[in-house]
Amino acid sequence: MTAKYAPPMVSVERQPRWRRLKNPLISLVSFGALLLIWEGATGLGLIEPLFLPAPSQIAQRAIQMAEQGTLLGHIVASTWRVTVGFLIASLVAIPLGIILGFSQTSRAIFDPILSFLRPLPSMSWIPLSLLWFGIGESQKYSIVFMGAFAPSLLYVIEATKSVDPLLVKAAQNLGARPRDVMIEVILPGSLPQILSGLKVMLGIAWTCVISAELVAAREGLGFMIMNGKEYFQTDTVVLGMVLISVTVMATDLVFRFFERRILPWKA
Amino acid sequence: MESLTSAPAIELSHVSKHYGSMQALKDVSLAVQEGEFVVIVGASGCGKSTMLNMIAGFDRPTSGRIQVQGRENTGVNPECGMVFQQYALFPWMTVEDNIAFGLKMKRMSKAERRNRAQEYIDMVGLRGFEKSYPKALSGGMRQRVAIARVLANNPKVMLFDEPFAALDAMTRQVLQEQLVRIYEQQRKTIVFITHSIDEALLLSSRIIVMSARPGQVVQDINNDLPHPRNADVQLSERYLELKRHIWHAVQAEVVRSIEAAA
Repeated sequence: MTAKYAPPMVSVERQPRWRRLKNPLISLVSFGALLLIWEGATGLGLIEPLFLPAPSQIAQRAIQMAEQGTLLGHIVASTWRVTVGFLIASLVAIPLGIILGFSQTSRAIFDPILSFLRPLPSMSWIPLSLLWFGIGESQKYSIVFMGAFAPSLLYVIEATKSVDPLLVKAAQNLGARPRDVMIEVILPGSLPQILSGLKVMLGIAWTCVISAELVAAREGLGFMIMNGKEYFQTDTVVLGMVLISVTVMATDLVFRFFERRILPWKA
Repeated sequence: MESLTSAPAIELSHVSKHYGSMQALKDVSLAVQEGEFVVIVGASGCGKSTMLNMIAGFDRPTSGRIQVQGRENTGVNPECGMVFQQYALFPWMTVEDNIAFGLKMKRMSKAERRNRAQEYIDMVGLRGFEKSYPKALSGGMRQRVAIARVLANNPKVMLFDEPFAALDAMTRQVLQEQLVRIYEQQRKTIVFITHSIDEALLLSSRIIVMSARPGQVVQDINNDLPHPRNADVQLSERYLELKRHIWHAVQAEVVRSIEAAA
């Protein structure tokens, strides 16, 4: 079929207000109910607070840690580590992946290394990275990098294959040289796929940083959980888990925001 | 005229093309002079597109020789600007940037690119859509962007691969007339592929009828319908005469290709 005139965005059908609010409302009620049952169960002594403290107790712990100023420190530490490691991984994986996707020879060169790296879980790098980098920040970055890099690279290579070969043909016909084709066609053409791949990678980057912090750290959400466990502060442990979840969701939102900015033609 | 003394704009000598055991083109010889508007008609699968791809340098003949401006292609030849049936616009670029793409490849300055692009945006009647993305345009508008993109690059030869086949009848007619206007102004050498005899008659200065696979030239007809030309030409006596003549040639080939497929 041919693409006929497609009216821009405004055509999205407007649903009545209550209809649009219905599903979020159901979600809100179910979330509230869960909290109430949880609170009630611990309040009635059905659940031992050591195993699972009540939501109110977790909230109290949150307020207490916020007042001490440690809460924000943990969040910032982990977020920063994810950001740095993830950015380095992306900045290496995107150009390299574009080149590998474009040239079969370069793919043949890198294939053995990639095949070796790909199956390695980032956790398996922790001992080696501690030897190489010590317990400091660069060790955390390296774990995030090692966890995110190889899969990101494969995503980028895969994404370059999604570019319509006709566009490459058209570009060459207009005088584009191989380097122009990579920069002007392959990169922008595969960017939507690259970004959706990187979004998955962002989740993996978080897994990496938390595991690294569980093993060796003095700060961060992973450390907070581990430290809570040491002192039998189950509320701190659960609070740490809640914060991880919320922070990951927040980074995902930020990522989506940039995604829309980078791809205005997709809207 | 200069074209009489210098080499033809495009020259195919004994060109054959095989894909494995399938023969797409068989011993095609054809010389296109500068400023000619050659339309190639033929049944589907007669190797028309193959021919165009080889002229543009996307593909090489299995045997024989293709010369553009007296030289054989060494790779994709930007002097042969191609308009594709599927538009092939870059979806991440605005209309303006799409049209200026070839100029950017020539490392022309941004200001100059903008000026040149605007000239061709106006020529194809897309003023006001400079900042639109292809997604927001109709098929007819997209194809006009594609034509402007090739024109802006100022190639020696323009190649059209069934460019209006995917458009509705009315849009097609508007674009055909627009292309006739552009040709009358610019007198570029054009090779245009279609399976519509009416389109061929309206646009061309010369019509080549190809046989069913393997493609061969079966008729070479001079289209002497007068310029300036518009859709009214279809009502003239000469038009009907030419159409009847071409249809007889094409019909035999269509029947042959249907029987071959059966």
